[in-house]
Amino acid sequence: MTLERNILLAFLAGAALLPFAVTDQYILHLAIMALFYAVLASSLNLVVGYVGEFSLGHTAFLGTGAYTAALLSTQAGMPMWVTIPLAGLVSAVFGFAIGAITLRLQGPYFVIVTLSFAEVLRIVANNWIAVTNGPMGLAGVGQNLFGDVAVTDKAGFFLIVLGIAAVALYFSYRFVYSNAGRAAVAVRENRYVAQSIGVDPFGTAMQAFVLGAFLAGLAGGFYAHYISFVGPEVFRFAFMATMIIMVLLGGKGTLIGPLAGAVIVTVLEEYLREVQELRLTLFGLIVMAIVLFLPNGLMGFIALRREQQAAKPTLNAAKERTV
Amino acid sequence: MDLFPQFLANGLVMGVFYALSALGLTLIFGLMRVVNFAHGEFYMLGGVSGWFVTNHLGLDFFSGLIVVAAFMAAVGWLVDRFLIERVRGQGEEPGILLTIGLSIFLVNGTLLLVGPAPMKVAGAMAEGPLFFGPIAVTKLRLLAVAVGIALIVGAHLLIRRTRLGAAMRATFQDPMAASLAGIRTGHVYAATFALGCTLAALSGMLLASIYSAQASVGGLISLKSFVVVILGGMGSFAGAIAGGLLLGVAEAMWGGYVSMGMVDVIGFVLVILILLFRPQGLFSIRTERA
Repeated sequence: MTLERNILLAFLAGAALLPFAVTDQYILHLAIMALFYAVLASSLNLVVGYVGEFSLGHTAFLGTGAYTAALLSTQAGMPMWVTIPLAGLVSAVFGFAIGAITLRLQGPYFVIVTLSFAEVLRIVANNWIAVTNGPMGLAGVGQNLFGDVAVTDKAGFFLIVLGIAAVALYFSYRFVYSNAGRAAVAVRENRYVAQSIGVDPFGTAMQAFVLGAFLAGLAGGFYAHYISFVGPEVFRFAFMATMIIMVLLGGKGTLIGPLAGAVIVTVLEEYLREVQELRLTLFGLIVMAIVLFLPNGLMGFIALRREQQAAKPTLNAAKERTV
Repeated sequence: MDLFPQFLANGLVMGVFYALSALGLTLIFGLMRVVNFAHGEFYMLGGVSGWFVTNHLGLDFFSGLIVVAAFMAAVGWLVDRFLIERVRGQGEEPGILLTIGLSIFLVNGTLLLVGPAPMKVAGAMAEGPLFFGPIAVTKLRLLAVAVGIALIVGAHLLIRRTRLGAAMRATFQDPMAASLAGIRTGHVYAATFALGCTLAALSGMLLASIYSAQASVGGLISLKSFVVVILGGMGSFAGAIAGGLLLGVAEAMWGGYVSMGMVDVIGFVLVILILLFRPQGLFSIRTERA
């Protein structure tokens, strides 16, 4: 717990120094995307890792947040400090509504219905031209932070997304180590035992789900301003696949895992850009390899190694005693 | 209202292909419990390999169909033996991720090999329309539907009347007892997966002879197949057929009377409603609570 907290703090502190050490715009862009994905992966991890239900509809909240921020900015000219939090809140409301329906379901049914919601939203975004401008999307989302103060360089955006990441990690940390978080883990491990000691599975799952939706909405709001364009693609399955891979590569049910996963996958995707056409094909192969050979993600692997390390000396000691 | 019979006929035609593809998925998802997100890619591979054998190898439609069936059965068998088997019995999650990886691999591999252009499978006969009172159906569609129905009947007979079918049913009732009785369950799982894969692929090839095959079509087909399986009830043979026809007709009606752009929403709305009000599916006998 303290180790986890210290690593997270060290990560944030190290990241905060980055824009002062690096001026290369390309690297800063990568760092921004890595942190953006870190927020998304952490928010998905609250559902996948702590509630233990596999949501494939997380793009619903990313997209809702992105469209909210884009609409508020292009229609009402609101600055970022208003639109991003509002994007999170609107997504949280969506999360409450969708969660109220989907969290009654489990296993494959939950998977399919969450995915259905994301698809419905995508199709609506594609067809409700009066509001979303259909497939053309909403372009020219403003980049002003307060009033007329605009964010012009990558370093500025980096600090904003770092702030959002800090908020996301703080909320995740507080949730995971709260009574609600522990109750959620109890439900994940054994639903009936948890119920028998008075945990309400639906209620705890709902808290995690709404918090996850809120954080994904924040990320979506940031995305809208950073890219300055939002189209129905934000609801696409490709985003979802990336998020899942990050969470599972890093190790679900840990706070550091999704963070590590986000950084690794973002860098890996860029690196694979060298082999342009083969990129996604290789990506698919890598995903399969992770499932087969690293089933608990990197954090699971590290934990296993540490257990083995810890077990070895006692084993040796036991041997010596028998000798 | 005069277009109603036409919409109904169009819906039923589409419904047969949804049913065929969903039948494959009901075996894989309903019985084997593999949440197979690569199902639409098997469908797509069926269309693309159908295009390849009819246009490049110069086979006629029916021998092409047989070649594609054999090829996709082999693919399904290998996928099960080398990938799915390794995560069997570990819950849904590894299977979901594995098949997502597989689907990314298959889509992009196909894009690399044949490109994104639509590919038309050479049909068995000319496109001429036939009129039944107020309904017009092309001969090609009628033939594809007939083949589709024949395949559904064939799959039914395979499961109900053969030794392999009996072994499948035994394995999915109780894998332990089945293996104690001397059934090689590993082979049965692989055969079931291969059968599901082949059904999806043939649905893809038949539909590609009416419309065309495209490398990127898989995702939507996967989802619609899931929708149909849930509508009909997990693992229910009749349910998959009824669910497929229902989805086809509902989409045709919605497209005809309400709006064309939102057609794809209908399946998802149906599945959300079903899971809220009748989670065991419309036709399932088992009262499995979602």
